[in-house]
Amino acid sequence: MMVTKEEILDIALLAKLSVEEDKLDELTKEMMNIIQFADTINAFDGEVQEFDNINSLSNVFREDEVLPSYPREEILKNVGGGENGYFPVKKRM
Amino acid sequence: MKEYELVSGLETHVELSTKTKIFCSCTTQFGSEPNTHCCPICIGLPGTMPKLNRQAVRYAIKAGLATHCTINPIAKMDRKNYVYPDLPKAYQISQYDKPLCSNGYIELKNGRKIRILRIHIEEDAGKLVHERGDTFVDYNRGGVPLIEIVTEPDIRSIDEAIEYVEKLQLIMKYIGVSDVKMQEGSLRCDVNISVREKGSESFGTRTEIKNMNSFAFMQKAMEYEFERQVDLIENGEQVIQETRRFNTDTGETAPMRGKEDAHDYRYFREPDLVTIETSKEEIEEIRASLPELPEQKRQRYIETFGLSEVDADILIKYRKVAEFFDEAAKAVGNPKTVSNFIISQVFRTLPTDAEKEAFDVRITPQSLIELIGLLESKKINMNVAKSTLDKMLQTGKTPDQLIDKNDMGGVDANTLTAICQKVIETQSGAVQDYKNGKEAAFKALIGGVMKETRGKADPMQATEILKSLIG
Ligand SMILES: [Zn+2]
Repeated sequence: MMVTKEEILDIALLAKLSVEEDKLDELTKEMMNIIQFADTINAFDGEVQEFDNINSLSNVFREDEVLPSYPREEILKNVGGGENGYFPVKKRM
Repeated sequence: MKEYELVSGLETHVELSTKTKIFCSCTTQFGSEPNTHCCPICIGLPGTMPKLNRQAVRYAIKAGLATHCTINPIAKMDRKNYVYPDLPKAYQISQYDKPLCSNGYIELKNGRKIRILRIHIEEDAGKLVHERGDTFVDYNRGGVPLIEIVTEPDIRSIDEAIEYVEKLQLIMKYIGVSDVKMQEGSLRCDVNISVREKGSESFGTRTEIKNMNSFAFMQKAMEYEFERQVDLIENGEQVIQETRRFNTDTGETAPMRGKEDAHDYRYFREPDLVTIETSKEEIEEIRASLPELPEQKRQRYIETFGLSEVDADILIKYRKVAEFFDEAAKAVGNPKTVSNFIISQVFRTLPTDAEKEAFDVRITPQSLIELIGLLESKKINMNVAKSTLDKMLQTGKTPDQLIDKNDMGGVDANTLTAICQKVIETQSGAVQDYKNGKEAAFKALIGGVMKETRGKADPMQATEILKSLIG
């Protein structure tokens, strides 16, 4: 499968990454290698289970019981304590 | 001008009333201080692991069974990626190709079935607060469990859309999985709309109006969007497939900014959560826990109790009212009397929808049964019953405490004739007026009889006697 430069730019946009023009060729090649690995897997001819349940685990649940939440100071620690109890949102360009 | 038809499908988000969030043990309580119901899981800190709330799964299955869905034996969770400040992980854990429930329907009054494509569970986002150009986030709501109920584009009018949402809302209330309050955001609708020429089988290009949180807005937004699309087509222009927002001030819909709309969700399986397998036994156990649903109740009221469709609709609209009615109706001779008392008299003391919903009244089914028993055994007449009910509603007392023993037993024919004679003599003026053709004067005579008998007399009988005496 081919990967185009446009697709790389599109992925970068979705991931909120800025890509410099001179890195574009290299990134496109790297991404192509990754995608081609998927082609190798797709080429596998044999029985495939519908669910990739690797550890065949299912139904791991939690009961609906309230536990204390974290103190707000802890919750807002990573945003310098927040503003009036809120997470402030940095203005985006 | 050609005739156009509306084609619409709805995506309805319903907040589940579990005690805790979908992936952590924080409370789902509404209306607290911002960011006080949060933990590292629901604010999306790296390295945290979601743990699925069993009750959220059960509630979703319950909702599916109540809307005739198939419950899928295997379901899984997926990541839906998008970047927005109300979503701390930059992805929402939702379900993509293996939802919990598929292929249900809700039937409308006109007999049309609105097919439900799927019901899946997902986490709610946080709440953005905008203030003087700045934006702030409160993650208390982030991680509250939601179900999203997606219909096929089967809706053909605004009335059908509203009836569908009302029916859905009522079902969710009955099965107790959500309080479905539109004004508090626990029920929100995204509406897909396209138009086509009447009689056409193909679909036009659709637009989506996001986040309708009241019936009035939904009605207006759909009216506007229908007209807008018809105008475009009539003018030879194209409808563009896009997401639009309803502006409640102008009553118009406008496209959301390109960036918000340009989603490429890149769904993939949520690696931190295992599959959900639901056994037949578990499905049957949940099915057995379903209460009688609104539609079944309505049928029963009409067929077994002989209520009119209008009365049945009013009673089932409020779950507590229906429960009260059921309780009283089973112990009286004629359930219609219970329904009449509730609708005409009790509801007069509960003018708003919210009050009827809460049904906080001072009478009990037992006291109403007692009152109707007295009426049906002819110990009191309808007048006394009505005035007693009013007193019961005001004071919370029982009929036994309120009805004077002298008011029991009605008035026998001889006594009533004597009283009528007396009234005719004392109100000769009214009698003369009546004889001269003034029908209204007769009411004064009946009033006189009622006063003399303290309301005990049967008005029909009194009318008969008075008329025969006056001649
Ligand atoms: Zn939490």
